[in-house]
Amino acid sequence: MYYYIVNPAAGGAQNKALQEKLRSRLDQLGIRGEWVKTTAPGEATNLAAAAAAKGHTTIVAVGGDDTVNEVVNGVTEHEGLAVGIIPLGSTNRLATQLGITSWQQACEVLAARRLTSYSLIAAGQKYFLSTLTLGFETDLDKNVDTTATGWRARVGQLRAGWGHARNYQTLRCRINVDDQFKLDCSVFSLSIANQKFLNPLADNRLVVALSDHPGRQLQLGNYVWQMLHSRIGRGTNPATASFAEDAATTRFLAQRVVIETEPVTGIMVDGKVAGRTPIAIRLTDRHVRFITEKVVADFKDAVGPRSK
Amino acid sequence: MARRDDVLGVTGAETVIGAGVTIEGSLISEADISIDGTMHGGDIKTTGDLTIGVNAKIKANIWALNISVAGELDGSIIAEGEATIRETGRVTGDITSAGLAIVSGGIFSGRSIVHRQRELDLPRPDDTEPERRPPVKIRRL
Repeated sequence: MYYYIVNPAAGGAQNKALQEKLRSRLDQLGIRGEWVKTTAPGEATNLAAAAAAKGHTTIVAVGGDDTVNEVVNGVTEHEGLAVGIIPLGSTNRLATQLGITSWQQACEVLAARRLTSYSLIAAGQKYFLSTLTLGFETDLDKNVDTTATGWRARVGQLRAGWGHARNYQTLRCRINVDDQFKLDCSVFSLSIANQKFLNPLADNRLVVALSDHPGRQLQLGNYVWQMLHSRIGRGTNPATASFAEDAATTRFLAQRVVIETEPVTGIMVDGKVAGRTPIAIRLTDRHVRFITEKVVADFKDAVGPRSK
Repeated sequence: MARRDDVLGVTGAETVIGAGVTIEGSLISEADISIDGTMHGGDIKTTGDLTIGVNAKIKANIWALNISVAGELDGSIIAEGEATIRETGRVTGDITSAGLAIVSGGIFSGRSIVHRQRELDLPRPDDTEPERRPPVKIRRL
């Protein structure tokens, strides 16, 4: 039975009107279930845990990334569950990564019930699924308000972001990778994602990508633009917005990394501040099965070696 | 075909160490590695190809399928396939490989041992010849 956890505050006033349409569509598809609304931040975790304990097999987060992460943190002890997403939040990066871009499509995806299992990533005591960032990106959210819409607001955001990027001091960073080797480098931006989110054929492994301060102004401008674009939910995943083609970019796969920075800095998980350095980040053996749109055949078969 | 959003390059070289990054320890992988940074000590082992970039300064022993050196390497190389020293490359150490190419300008200081392709693979049990040991002299007390 489907259990829908709705964040009524997600996505603003226009989404309230959508909820009737949404329920009607779910009725048509024959997947209408229990429908509960959250009343405070963090409540979705308790609701999801209670639903899992009651024996619900499918829990659907209706909201944005925060709602999804709260639901995931509530079902970490119940691996047989399926988690679905109806993206109605102001930021829907997780849904986008799973190939879900609208609530209408999300309903079809839920009905089709195509499941993919993802390992959870632990950052300290908190679990997350997709992307952790630190450095410029994390500071960008503190310094630039990306909630405003309209072209004037966008121009203002780009100008503020550009000014912030030009003056940003890189962090001195030391990373212990799987207790095998240590990296010492200066970091402009660092992101950690689950490789499987980028390609469902790949194994669950952490992809750590970091870049030094981009020297050329064109690159810097491009970077700021991509960051802002991702903040308004239309662009790419922040992890993919690093300078992969640039010689200064470093990336590697890992199971566990310990990150220390000088000075100490905040980290952001799926767009929300979630802790400070030093921090240990590891891929756990806990899995969440997501109802996803991604079709495996779309991806290249040769994605590198599978871990043994 | 790889998706356009596969910018992180999970379909390409698995490990890329950029210029300005210093590594301590051993780098072990089952896919391609590209290093343009600095490495002190340790080993680099991969079943894929290894590319040492023009900015790299590596002090390590390396094992890989094919190895290309455009930077500085102080250590021995064992390549199952070919080892190449590029124009800007400088290798101080022994090279064991199926083939060795040194491009004009490349510097190599050490011994070179060229083996047949796949010779470094472990022999299969049915291919192995009985071990020939020298006769042992037994002295009775």
